[in-house]
Amino acid sequence: MTSTIAGKSELTAEFVNPIISSTISVFEMMLGCTPKRTGLSLKSDHIPEHELSAVIGISGKAAGTLVLSLSKSVGIGILDRLLGITTDELNDEVCDAVCELANMIAGSAKAQLEHLEASISIPNIITGAGHSVHYPSNVSPICIAFDSEIGTFTIEAGFSDR
Amino acid sequence: MKVLLVDDSGTMRTIQKRCLSKLGIEDVTEAEDGVQALEIYNSGTFDIVLSDWNMPNMDGLQLLKEIRLLNKEIPIIMITTEAERARVVTAIQAGVSDYLVKPFTPDSLKSKLERLTCIKKLYQPL
Repeated sequence: MTSTIAGKSELTAEFVNPIISSTISVFEMMLGCTPKRTGLSLKSDHIPEHELSAVIGISGKAAGTLVLSLSKSVGIGILDRLLGITTDELNDEVCDAVCELANMIAGSAKAQLEHLEASISIPNIITGAGHSVHYPSNVSPICIAFDSEIGTFTIEAGFSDR
Repeated sequence: MKVLLVDDSGTMRTIQKRCLSKLGIEDVTEAEDGVQALEIYNSGTFDIVLSDWNMPNMDGLQLLKEIRLLNKEIPIIMITTEAERARVVTAIQAGVSDYLVKPFTPDSLKSKLERLTCIKKLYQPL
């Protein structure tokens, strides 16, 4: 592994614990459930694990992407938990609720890494199985898998230094 | 109390409106970004502004600065995921009245509102 790639992996690794703790605290406070981390791995591609992705860009001394990846049913469950609204469709309300959750997770994680002086973008939603997400070049994203009362989901992220 | 609630997320606006409703505050006007909020602010009368930071078109920090040019006293609470000390300092320097980091509990919003209402009463003429 070259020193450049090693450096980028270290930066991504620096985000792991903040992402895990932020995910747990956001789910507990907003959804009333405690997710359990079930896996941590390096991804070999840029295709999120599930059909719905809330994507947040991060800039500053660390630049990269954070993705909350989950299924339609989990997204619907999130809307139900947050607002008590039930639906069968992957509609704007579901997407907005998922985006806001991703926003809070990313914001809370970056706050634990103040030295990186990171800024986060407004979240975007991508839907459809097999879609891909852009990461900085030569970055292998991490995939943190969780299980919860609402269902399984992943937080996927990859960063490089500027 | 007349509230101007600014957040690009409909989910967060609903959550905050429900918190406010539980406190007996029903007169809430919503805006999706700073530009819309400023238009609404200039056309109405409000007792307090609750604003997100990261929004399209005009962010909460710019909105804060724009309102402060018009009104140095109206309470403005920034409700945002931006939790770093540098961000908080930036908002304070721009004139924010209080700061609430997402995710937040209804009680914490209630505390902020009560504190600002109490302060406002102290400065009302007898």
